[in-house]
Amino acid sequence: MARQGLTVVSPAFEAEALASLDSLYRAALRLTRVPADAEDLVQETYLKAFRSADRFQPGTNLRAWLFTILHNTALNRARDRARDTVAVDSEIVDRAADASPLGGWSAGTAETPESMLIRDTLAPELQAAIDALPGAFRQAVWLRDVEEFSYAEIATMLSIPIGTVMSRISRGRHLLFDALKKSSVGGRQPPVGVAEA
Amino acid sequence: MPCDRIDPLVTPFVDGELPDPDRRAVEDHLRVCPPCHSRVAAEREVHALIRARLPVLRTADAPDALHARCWAMARLTPAADRAAANAAPMPMPVPKRLVPYALAASLVLVVGGAFVYQATDKSARVMAAELTADHLKCFAMNRAFGTHDEAAAVESSMADIFDWRMHLPANPGNADLELVGSRQCLYGEGEIAHIMYRHQGHPVSLFMLPKSARTEELIEVLGHEAKVWCANGRTFVLVAREPRADVERMASFVQASLH
Repeated sequence: MARQGLTVVSPAFEAEALASLDSLYRAALRLTRVPADAEDLVQETYLKAFRSADRFQPGTNLRAWLFTILHNTALNRARDRARDTVAVDSEIVDRAADASPLGGWSAGTAETPESMLIRDTLAPELQAAIDALPGAFRQAVWLRDVEEFSYAEIATMLSIPIGTVMSRISRGRHLLFDALKKSSVGGRQPPVGVAEA
Repeated sequence: MPCDRIDPLVTPFVDGELPDPDRRAVEDHLRVCPPCHSRVAAEREVHALIRARLPVLRTADAPDALHARCWAMARLTPAADRAAANAAPMPMPVPKRLVPYALAASLVLVVGGAFVYQATDKSARVMAAELTADHLKCFAMNRAFGTHDEAAAVESSMADIFDWRMHLPANPGNADLELVGSRQCLYGEGEIAHIMYRHQGHPVSLFMLPKSARTEELIEVLGHEAKVWCANGRTFVLVAREPRADVERMASFVQASLH
């Protein structure tokens, strides 16, 4: 009789894990963009989490552990489907970021008066701008500014060095600034330097 | 400090993560370097904007159905831990959100230690609801594992575990029934047989409750139809989310074929 060989998982662990479902789903949407795929990703994440519950160290950050499973799963799926993977995308963008001259973003003259304009940006426009970012930057900004993970936790989740985490966050924030600044000055223009991932 | 040394420090500076000496060094540099000052200001603006809009950015909740499926995946224990499972059930928090009644009921049943009562004490309706919840849970798991058992394997398990010598319908294809697999499910103070089929792609469950007798009836519960009947001191329940006529037909077929 085929038995599922599942470990006993304490109800407290399950409930605590499932409490992150909504934020995992939002992160999955940033990864897949398609709601149906995001749902599958979340479901697979919980399946893996419950199956390998004994590998979670009590006292450590359960949310970060779940997000790590989510990102690894997404990466594996993308590789299996041989589509443009986040990894490939990010390798390219990281190299491009390293090669660009200092202050190639929005530096130069003091732009303080104009920069204040982005404060009026409403959430839907901000969400759209975030979703328009290249994958690597989108995730770094989302995990840091929305999900409030530490640089070290993000480094683990995305399997990249801490320095890369910080530079991606920085780049992502600057791309957002350029995108929002342009659109707030009047007229819908495509954000500078942002390509569809 | 030269500008390129400031670069890697900007983000932790904006986030307030720099130790004091580094923070002061950056501040000193920004006072005298307008381009770097602009860069930091821009990054700060975005950071502040996202923080300000967090409540709205966080409102896209996952669909109720996804919550239900993930909750259903929890609480599966192997037979070895049956004693622990049958002990006083631990109170489990039901998700604090509005869900359609049907889903809420199935969540409560699955989550709250559904199989708590004596099999004979409960009403047919409650039994049907509990089995429907189990039907949902097992198929959610099966979708992940994708197991497919052979009829012979299922028959031999049923004989070994339940002393139930039976033959699965020889030509399930005639009724469009495709065998998926079988499980033993915890129920009351024992176990019941759960045979899983697909009918034209839709999940169908056949439960066998040993040493039990029930009146024959068709019950509608949790958006599903549950056909209950009795044979040879066993109660059978067929659960599917399909029109009554189809469920009746499948039940008749199974009833006639099992011997």
